[in-house]
Amino acid sequence: MSPAQRSFFETKIRPVLVKQCYECHSQGAKKLGGKLLLDAPSEMIAGGESGPALIPGKPDESLIIKAVRYEDPEMPPKQRLPEQVVNDFVEWVKMGAPDPRVEVTKASKPATPKEPLWSLKPVSNPKPPGVKHRDWPRDPIDAFVLTKLEAKSLKPAADADARTLVRRLYFDLTGLPPPAEALNAALSDSSFAIRHSSLESLVDSLLASPNFGEKWGRHWLDVARYAESNGNDGLSRNASFPHAWRYRDYVIRAFNDDTPYDRFLTEQLAGDLLPFDSSAQRDRQLIATGLLALGAKPAKAMNDNFEMDVIADQINVIGGGIMGLTVGCARCHDHKTDPISARDYYALAGIFKSTETMWGAAARQGLTAPETPLHELQVSLKVTPRTEIDPILKANPPHRPPAKPAFKYADDAPLAMGAREGKTIADCKLNIDGDAKKLGPAVPRGFISACGAIDPAMLPDVKQSGRLQLARWLTSPQHPLTARVMVNRVWQHLFGEGLVTTPNDFGTYGERPSNPELLDHLAARFMREGWSMKRLIRSIVLSSTYQLSSRSGDLQSPEAVENRLSLFGQHRVRRLDAEELRDTMLAATGELDPQPAAGSVIQRRDVLINELPPLHQPSTHRSVYLLMLRNSMPPELTPFNLPDATTVTDKRDTSALATQSLYLLNNAFVIEQSKRFAMKLAVISDPAQRIRTAYHRALGRDPSDSELRRVQDFLREADLTFVSSQNAGAKHQSDAWAALCQALLASNELRYVD
Amino acid sequence: MSDLMKTMSRRQMLRSASCGFGYLAMSHLANAASAGLDARPARLRAKAQRVIFLNMSGGPAQLDMFDYKPQVGQKPHAGSIAKFARRGQSGVWVSDMLPNIARHADKLCVINSMTADTSIHAQSMLQLHTGDRLRPCPSMGAWVAYGLGTENQNLPGFISFNTAKPAEYAAAQLPSVFGGTPIGVNGENMSRATISNIASDHLPLGVKRRQLDLIQAMNRDHLAARNDDAQLEGVIETMELGFRMQAEAPGLLDLSGESKSTLERYHVGKSFDVGTCKPSDFGRQCLLARRFCEAGVRFIELNHGSWDQHTDHRRDLTANCASTDAPIAALLDDLDERGLLEDTLVVWGGEFGRPGLKPGEDKDQTGHQHRAFTFWLAGGGVKAGHVHGSTNEDGSVVADGGVHFRDLHATILHLLGLDHDNLAVVSGGRRIRLTGLQGGKVVNGLIA
Repeated sequence: MSPAQRSFFETKIRPVLVKQCYECHSQGAKKLGGKLLLDAPSEMIAGGESGPALIPGKPDESLIIKAVRYEDPEMPPKQRLPEQVVNDFVEWVKMGAPDPRVEVTKASKPATPKEPLWSLKPVSNPKPPGVKHRDWPRDPIDAFVLTKLEAKSLKPAADADARTLVRRLYFDLTGLPPPAEALNAALSDSSFAIRHSSLESLVDSLLASPNFGEKWGRHWLDVARYAESNGNDGLSRNASFPHAWRYRDYVIRAFNDDTPYDRFLTEQLAGDLLPFDSSAQRDRQLIATGLLALGAKPAKAMNDNFEMDVIADQINVIGGGIMGLTVGCARCHDHKTDPISARDYYALAGIFKSTETMWGAAARQGLTAPETPLHELQVSLKVTPRTEIDPILKANPPHRPPAKPAFKYADDAPLAMGAREGKTIADCKLNIDGDAKKLGPAVPRGFISACGAIDPAMLPDVKQSGRLQLARWLTSPQHPLTARVMVNRVWQHLFGEGLVTTPNDFGTYGERPSNPELLDHLAARFMREGWSMKRLIRSIVLSSTYQLSSRSGDLQSPEAVENRLSLFGQHRVRRLDAEELRDTMLAATGELDPQPAAGSVIQRRDVLINELPPLHQPSTHRSVYLLMLRNSMPPELTPFNLPDATTVTDKRDTSALATQSLYLLNNAFVIEQSKRFAMKLAVISDPAQRIRTAYHRALGRDPSDSELRRVQDFLREADLTFVSSQNAGAKHQSDAWAALCQALLASNELRYVD
Repeated sequence: MSDLMKTMSRRQMLRSASCGFGYLAMSHLANAASAGLDARPARLRAKAQRVIFLNMSGGPAQLDMFDYKPQVGQKPHAGSIAKFARRGQSGVWVSDMLPNIARHADKLCVINSMTADTSIHAQSMLQLHTGDRLRPCPSMGAWVAYGLGTENQNLPGFISFNTAKPAEYAAAQLPSVFGGTPIGVNGENMSRATISNIASDHLPLGVKRRQLDLIQAMNRDHLAARNDDAQLEGVIETMELGFRMQAEAPGLLDLSGESKSTLERYHVGKSFDVGTCKPSDFGRQCLLARRFCEAGVRFIELNHGSWDQHTDHRRDLTANCASTDAPIAALLDDLDERGLLEDTLVVWGGEFGRPGLKPGEDKDQTGHQHRAFTFWLAGGGVKAGHVHGSTNEDGSVVADGGVHFRDLHATILHLLGLDHDNLAVVSGGRRIRLTGLQGGKVVNGLIA
């Protein structure tokens, strides 16, 4: 190196590197950008995620020159360097990039954890442990639970009484309260809980009921971030998804048919690629791919990342929803704590980049999302727009006339959102810092490498997007996560808390399983028994563990209770979710229409929801069939912590809010139900009998004597107040009986399950 | 705090602690150990007690409002097309577009050197609200309510008017009680907007009271049989709170007691529907903000948009300015007059700004610019009649004194007496705070 060269570097290059680049690209960087170090000559040549930063003598091929020229990527990101400085860099690379700096040792790459992540170890099939109280376990599940309790010198809580157990089973399996007959049957049989056969037949009938799919389908719709509109795209536009309801119906049916979970996933990821025996099956499989198209998309306008944003949403569903890993974090950088590299992310991204996602017209507002075709179904129900929202639409014409349709379908053609193979099948280039404008090398399509060895034969060939291969990989019995994540979700729905309390995160940051052997037992059993959801749920609810009481009984110390709860030695009290509460109110008043609702209020309506007043229509169908619009969810459900359907829901929030109280006290739906409830009771002339019937319908039990007296007092005082208020000229739509019915519907006893 | 929780049973706390949202905050923190929440941070000395955030969505054109960029040199360059003048004693530049706000120049602390990470609306809007542009995180208002509770036990701690996206006022990883209570969604007629289910006349008030007593008696029986389950106890409390809210909130939303001249000063009911400028009844929002502020709500967010003037920059900017100028000025007048400005921090700004137009060119379109834009603050302990930071000659990048969203967040929290480093919760193993992984710096140059 000549002194002139040294001086050139020291005066023109080094100060710029130090001032402009070291903040992100040096040993001392708080956060190393793109794994590239610019504080040592060899590191510049070795490069980072995007390959070599410097090819001495070849400025046009050197990434660092492209970067400072603001070609691709644009560096430094805050502000372009002055032209003279850029020229200095070109000159320096031309002269062979003479660099007098002393070599430093390379910054540590993301640490490989000493202990491999627990959830990535193969699923084992542990033997049920020996326990002291050998007569307690009814199922291997119970032995796994009991051994943990015994290790802490705890005993399981008492068994739940028959009434509690029947109510719990109805809500957990169907989302509905037990009909009076079912409760009476259970109560007349004093040893119901012990008579396993009658319990078995109750469970079997609940699993066979179409209400099962409505309840458990809804659980999956939470994972699938299901909604019937895009939600605010960031420019306040919220386009409808007028065919999304078909996916909802597909999910409900899949649970009712007990479609094996591996098959269920495969249909949703690659249903368009599966063989079929009938047109109906073909339709169903196409509808299943709606999972990939339902996401909330940010506006396309001024967003170079749009395509990658859509893919990010798809990867989030697969990562958080199916695998329980925060794969999405690797969009911008290697995962900080889990063994998921940015390369893994873009290997998956390539699969979806090679896929055509079909969301439809997006209200034909190109700024939100360009219009795409839809799946054309063959034998599915033809639907035409529903008329009840006509007046609203007429009164509120679109602000901006929608573009001419790019894809024309017959007015009643059955259509579905979904996915199919893209026109171009290609690998995806790494996006540096998650920016689609800063591209690194292409990454061959593939899966998450840390989940076990990937057989090259499982990988897609040049003509396949890889979705089918992805589904096969996810549902292979060797996959460490898919079964574990799903059995954990099921456990959470039945016990109020998962064995892993972070159901979307089985990574380093997630919680460890409180009972890993039980988790593995369930996962192994789930796969062994053909991924049957119904068999899994059946085994769990027939276990002794599920049938425990939620009362702490003689256990006094809060720590002991907490311990026992966390080890599932005592059942948790659970609040009804938003859908269950509405359905229960309708059932109590006898207004619930048990038939599935057909289609959707917005079927075949390509509209901007944000330009319209609320489209929700009165309905007495189950809540799962209500119009689920992002940013405009049904007002009867929103107060009760409904998820916003933009990301995979891990667990419904159950915190108590004042707005919930206001709903119970003042909402028109609650008031209307109370009035109808009171009207139905009015045929009973004896007031005491009327109160008893009200208690039975709402709470499924007789009032105690003191409760009866309390209610009678209330009615008497309320009547007096009504009279004085009417004398003062006020009119009110409810009366004392309706006020009583409302109190019952608002009571905690109705809203919580023991 | 956590030691106190350990030694007091929930029930004792219920008896001794004052009620309302502050109480709820404590009761949630009492369960903090199981929820993985950090203890509450220590309080610093607070200069501000509450915040009014005027969220200008879409990217306001700062070069035609606050960051004056006249033509310099021979070559025409992008810059301001609006006329500017130095205003007040301080000589802060404000354009003719905002004649009323200009009257208040001596109260403003203008930051012309704001920066954000992206010029994608949704992401930057989320970053402005939550500190994170990609993942759901608690909103600024939720953090403030979480950190400070509310001054009024009958009202929520965080109210958001004319909202666009739930993610912008979400509690996210914080207990939901700290999330924003929305009043009116974007596009809704604000004169009818209210807190959902806040009132109903289906029963006489006397019956409502008795009905609440009956519900609560039933709930207490239910609770007693369940060993005073904490969750159920909380529900009984929120039932009372909801009942009390019914008494307080409708009166605050009812403007019929305001004088005609007040309604006129605020331009209540006047809205523009021109291009991107959508009717938001911003005057009503501003007047309601004053009323909720007086009633002791901690964090009040108002929304107006859209400032996204891609096609008819001049026309839409004029409408957006006219729509917001007088209402904001009236709000500042009233806060000042009532002595509230002293400890109420007013924050004005959007998710980013816009590049300037070149004079002489007939182009009337502007895009997005996140590398330099403007926010202003007023009251709540910030310097008055002050301009912080500067940009280069065409206003496209920050020349001096850059303030990132996370620095703004740190400063707002600091003014409220909250330490942004420690106002955090742990969720899913991640430590979550408003200023994000990188953390922000309190900008002392803004503080009086």
